[in-house]
Amino acid sequence: MKPVAQSEVVITHEDVDRAHDRARVSKARARRGFSSGARLLWLLAGPGVLVMLGENDGPSMLAYAATGAKFGIGFFLPFVVLTFCMAIVVQEMTVRLGAATHRGHAELIFDRFGPFWGWFSMIDLGIGNFLTLITEFIAVRAGLGFFGVRPWVAILIALVILYAALMSHRYWTWERITLAAAAFNLIFIPVAFMTHPHWHSVGHSLITWHPLPGFNKDTLLIVLADIGATVTPWMLFFQQSATVDKGMTTKDIRFGRIDTVLGAALASAAAVATILATAPLFAHKMSADNFQAAEFAQALQPIIGRFGASLFALGMVEAGIVAAITISTSSAYAFGEVARKPHSLNLPMSEGRSFYGVLTLCALAAGAIVLIPGLPLVYVVLLVNVVAVLAMPPALVFLYMLVNDREIMGDLVSPLWASILSKGIVIVLTATGVLYGVSIIAPNIFAALGGK
Amino acid sequence: MTQRINLMESGNPHGVSRDDQNVVLSSLEPDQLVEAKKRHIPRRRFKDSELVLLWGLRVYLLFMLAVVAYQVWTAAR
Repeated sequence: MKPVAQSEVVITHEDVDRAHDRARVSKARARRGFSSGARLLWLLAGPGVLVMLGENDGPSMLAYAATGAKFGIGFFLPFVVLTFCMAIVVQEMTVRLGAATHRGHAELIFDRFGPFWGWFSMIDLGIGNFLTLITEFIAVRAGLGFFGVRPWVAILIALVILYAALMSHRYWTWERITLAAAAFNLIFIPVAFMTHPHWHSVGHSLITWHPLPGFNKDTLLIVLADIGATVTPWMLFFQQSATVDKGMTTKDIRFGRIDTVLGAALASAAAVATILATAPLFAHKMSADNFQAAEFAQALQPIIGRFGASLFALGMVEAGIVAAITISTSSAYAFGEVARKPHSLNLPMSEGRSFYGVLTLCALAAGAIVLIPGLPLVYVVLLVNVVAVLAMPPALVFLYMLVNDREIMGDLVSPLWASILSKGIVIVLTATGVLYGVSIIAPNIFAALGGK
Repeated sequence: MTQRINLMESGNPHGVSRDDQNVVLSSLEPDQLVEAKKRHIPRRRFKDSELVLLWGLRVYLLFMLAVVAYQVWTAAR
């Protein structure tokens, strides 16, 4: 690589802010003992927890709620935990890529594979992100609607919170504010306790994967929705860019892994809790086919009372707001990386106009669409996770190629077992998508195989 | 991807103080600097098998999105 001449080196405010964050990490690393480890985890955790709790978004929580209401306690409890294990394998690769190259995902794809494939990847991301962003505002509108809040007020509240997190123009502060908001995702856990689940059945299901659901189109759609609720393209772009923006290096990869596993553990606990919370609807044989956030809360009210239903609705609001923050940020990072414009949450407004502009524009446009009366947005909510699963295999192949590229990764390329696992995930996701396609085009095949 | 970076004696156009410059140089790896990241990473060439896979997945995605659009259309009717 060309050596840098003295006159070319410029230090920006973005560098200074990042350096101060890194100085605290170095100070903590210099100490010994448990408190030093805990301090390092506090300083380095963030992107992994945020990406996992961010992916427990409006449509994801609706998918888990629909899973509980349609199938009760059974196969889907361990299945959802398994999907989070899959997410750990995928997201760990983005931590390594970000720490080793100090480049965002979109930037690496454009540089290494050229603009032709880069633009394909960006179109997938752009469409997926915008559709998902719309569903986040639908979740906020529906969740606050449970309390009688008008739609435009609900959208305004979400936008104000999104903007408030950005106001510090510091990655660290943004991350802590968003983490605090994301912690409310765990609100689904007390809601699950309020439904008094049969813990023996829960344990039995987690171990035996029984009772199994019937093999039909509905089951397949829920399988797809639950996978799409844990692994989506925006997560790859977000975690890698956030890892770079946070300034993580190869020395921090171990903590990046812990951060990702911690995030997955918290998010899967919230997901399982949501399934348990709505399982009584299955027991009461209540049809929840077209339920949205507020309908689930209303249906649960006779079982868990007004307070429990309110918590459920608030959980949906949180899911929508946190995901709106992380997804719009992932779009802004990707745009900046591709357009070669400044892209960091450490940028002052004057230097990051395009970054903050894209972020704000995405959120404003999605919020405005939700307020247009008469739009059939229910289809967007139902299919956004399906679209995410379908877009994952091409995104994963790019990720796999990058993380195994010795020229940019050096010795940090994936070990054999990780390569086998990631190839397996691509095959499973593609096969699930194909099965879904078959179920739409030739539904009779399922009947021939013994399904409905 | 590392390079040696020397601090400019004549100050910094972004108005960064000497103390901050020292913190940057002691805390960030050279290729973490914004300026260093402006350089492109060299492009790699695809193997034929990789191109086949990428095109295959692109066709798969387009076909499946058409299936999803068909499902939305039938549901809307």
